[in-house]
Amino acid sequence: MTEAAGGGRRAYREVTPDSVETLALVLREATESRSVVQVVGGGTRQGYGSPPAPDIVLDMAGLSGIEEWDPDDLTVTVGAGTPVADLEAELAGRSQTAVLPEVPGASTVGGVVAAGMSSLRRGRLLGTRERMLEVRLVTGDGRVVRGGGRVVKNVSGYDLPRLVVGAFGSLGVITSVCLKLWPRPPAAATVSIGDLESAGRVRRPLAVLEHDGSTEVFLWGTPEEVFSSTARLEGESREGHHWPADPAGPYRWSLRIPPASTTAGVSRLPPVWSYLAIHGAGEIRAASDVPDGAEDLRGWAEGVGGSLVVVEAPKDGINGLDPWGKPPPGLEIQRRLIAQFDPARVINPGRLPGGL
Amino acid sequence: MSLVQDLRAVLGDDRVLEEPVELYLYSRDASLMHGQATYVAFPHTTAEVAAVVRVAEAHAVPIIPRGAGTGLAAGAIPVDGGIVLSTTSMNQIELDVDNRTAWVGAGVINLDLSKEAEPYGLSFAPDPSSQSACTIGGNVANNSGGAHCLAEGATTSHVLGLEVVLAGGEVLVLGGQAPDTPGLDLKGLIVGSEGTLGVVTRALVRLLPIEADVRTLLLDFEDLSGATRTVSDVIAAGVVPAALEIMDQKMTTAVENWLRAGLPCDCAAILLAEVVGEPEAVEAEAALVSSIGLENGARNVQVARDEEERAILWKGRKSAFGAVAQVSPNYYLHDTVVPRSRLVETMEEVQAIADRYGLDVYNVFHAGDGNLHPLMAFDASDPVMLDKVHRAGEEMVAACLARGGALSGEHGIGLEKRDMMRDDFTELDLDAQARLKEAFDPAGLFNPAKVLPEGSRCFDFGGVRREIPDGAWL
Ligand SMILES: Cc1cc2nc3c(=O)[nH]c(=O)nc-3n(C[C@H](O)[C@H](O)[C@H](O)COP(=O)(O)OP(=O)(O)OC[C@H]3O[C@@H](n4cnc5c(N)ncnc54)[C@H](O)[C@@H]3O)c2cc1C
Repeated sequence: MTEAAGGGRRAYREVTPDSVETLALVLREATESRSVVQVVGGGTRQGYGSPPAPDIVLDMAGLSGIEEWDPDDLTVTVGAGTPVADLEAELAGRSQTAVLPEVPGASTVGGVVAAGMSSLRRGRLLGTRERMLEVRLVTGDGRVVRGGGRVVKNVSGYDLPRLVVGAFGSLGVITSVCLKLWPRPPAAATVSIGDLESAGRVRRPLAVLEHDGSTEVFLWGTPEEVFSSTARLEGESREGHHWPADPAGPYRWSLRIPPASTTAGVSRLPPVWSYLAIHGAGEIRAASDVPDGAEDLRGWAEGVGGSLVVVEAPKDGINGLDPWGKPPPGLEIQRRLIAQFDPARVINPGRLPGGL
Repeated sequence: MSLVQDLRAVLGDDRVLEEPVELYLYSRDASLMHGQATYVAFPHTTAEVAAVVRVAEAHAVPIIPRGAGTGLAAGAIPVDGGIVLSTTSMNQIELDVDNRTAWVGAGVINLDLSKEAEPYGLSFAPDPSSQSACTIGGNVANNSGGAHCLAEGATTSHVLGLEVVLAGGEVLVLGGQAPDTPGLDLKGLIVGSEGTLGVVTRALVRLLPIEADVRTLLLDFEDLSGATRTVSDVIAAGVVPAALEIMDQKMTTAVENWLRAGLPCDCAAILLAEVVGEPEAVEAEAALVSSIGLENGARNVQVARDEEERAILWKGRKSAFGAVAQVSPNYYLHDTVVPRSRLVETMEEVQAIADRYGLDVYNVFHAGDGNLHPLMAFDASDPVMLDKVHRAGEEMVAACLARGGALSGEHGIGLEKRDMMRDDFTELDLDAQARLKEAFDPAGLFNPAKVLPEGSRCFDFGGVRREIPDGAWL
């Protein structure tokens, strides 16, 4: 464990636990002293919600690395602090993928899980929750808990592994996860198409992405299949997958809507916003210099049963806009659930909707 | 007013059952266990379900949600009395073809949903072998699987939203067509919770486009390990077929004697493999499966020539449990999982256990997922046999756990395996599970005595550790 004094407006303690036991100790103490703990993986998604200033910043880098990987089982168990890029590079060596975000920057596996971020391939291979087989976590009061197991099919008890996805650590600091892997087939191509309509010529493409005016279809499979699908699309094709990065800017947004409304969603974005739309999944990632237009967009999104979430915004620059919008149903139960795992509410408080 | 008067005030006289013979039927499911129902209630609407829940709370009587009663883990049986809440009248389907989703009443039969969606080129992927009888509510509650869940995932991967009735009769609509609903994913937690957190009244499910092409292969092997090795090798080669199912000789023979599906009975095991997708991919993947099979000693590779042949092969596979029922008064099976790479040794051990107890074991399983269903045929009127079957079953489960496996892959924990949860999880793990339950159902009225062993909450130290009463078994 290393400790350092933090700078900035308020002093905080920086802790890098190198074992689950140390982490449990830190959390138990935090609960006793009612300290605010901010958990940091790669630090790429610290903009959600409205958290109070931390007393302790937990750096998860000490709990990283591949713990168990049996390529023949298509499962891997990794420490939460493992960078996504490192894991995927390792897996690619055996033509496998954990189907995590393609352009992860410094993101860690634990961070991606806790923030509920998903792959651009989610239209075909679904989101991060579908990769979760086992989770190990340390609760706010320092209990070490496991849910699920290291097999691809399991209904033994409540589904804790999936519940931690998007929970921002409110049930505990994730220390390791076991993920269901997917084989990378031999052939891959990226095809630019003129109009979205023609993407329909491929029945189940890996991804159809639209960003800032251009549309690309991502294919993979056997060489024969990729070749014939490419021909049917009649676009300009490149070998391999050329994934776009998430739009960048002082304001970052996540628009979540029914899949069939994705085109409508794109047309409703303020024209100066940059965006990356995942067709078939109903997720649009966007960025802007100013928040203007967000309120109208959110009104529309909530009207179709979706949401507009603030992923990142300059401090005090959000003009009274709630980070999450309309609170989701069942807040009271969520509060009770969290109280069972983090009774003093020390881990990442204020990140979730409803100020949880 | 009395409990029954209150129930009748909500549902009318004809939708509350109390005759002993009716109660008897609703006191069992497809497991070998039974309980005792106090009343059976048939609500038609979500509002009626909420009203029944409030009546139950007022009288402090448990609620046991029930679909078709095909569950194999004694999840739907009332252990110590209570209101069995049958969902079978809640069977509306609303399709949204553009978004490829449907809102489905809990009582809708699984196969009826796919039939309804088929004209639009869509289908519901989870296909338990019991699909012509089991309900969507039961599928959601058990997170059921099926032969085609290998590539597409079990029920939880196909549930986007739920309408539920929780404690206090509170009705919530969770999730929806949009992805990543902000906040904790309560919907995902309710999937697989076996009716212990509340009653599911409707589910919003994802439908998949019916694939362009499909090829179904039947491979037969001189030894079971050739079949299991083929499965491991196919997965290791980077192909995830739509289905990879194995039946051993005993099972194949039982099915063949009953259905005459044309299955080869002179081999040790058959492997049913299905690949789907674009025609070019199907071609290549079918070739790969068959060559891996031949390398592992397959004698023949037969390819279904048309939809009719394919349907016959699948009917054979999906009738396996029924086929054993034709030849034996009783059967008992365990649903366990091992890492796929350890299938061969596990199957050998399962056979050795059965031999040691002098039991007949039939094997049919979702091999691609490492999900075993060793099935023991016996006569329950012989108490010695029942005891042997139990002990052998426990050893088989232990053998799977020892190899890094899980207690149940798809049938659920229910009452049947609840005490075995201690073999897989620590006290703190179980305590955490008990806390999840407590947050939803503080009074413990929803499907009590299921999933978690008594005294799971660590601070229940004073509590006696009650095991499943012997009388609960057949
Ligand atoms: C011949 C046979 C083959 C089978 N094959 C498979 C298979 O391939 N794969 C598989 O996974 N399973 C299989 N099963 C097991 C069983 O069919 C599934 O578990 C099925 O999903 C149960 O559905 P049901 O409607 O019968 O539920 P029930 O048996 O009535 O109930 C099962 C559980 O769900 C709860 N429940 C039911 N409805 C609700 C609701 N609306 N809200 C809350 N809780 C509810 C009950 O309380 C109980 O705990 C098979 C069973 C048989 C008899």
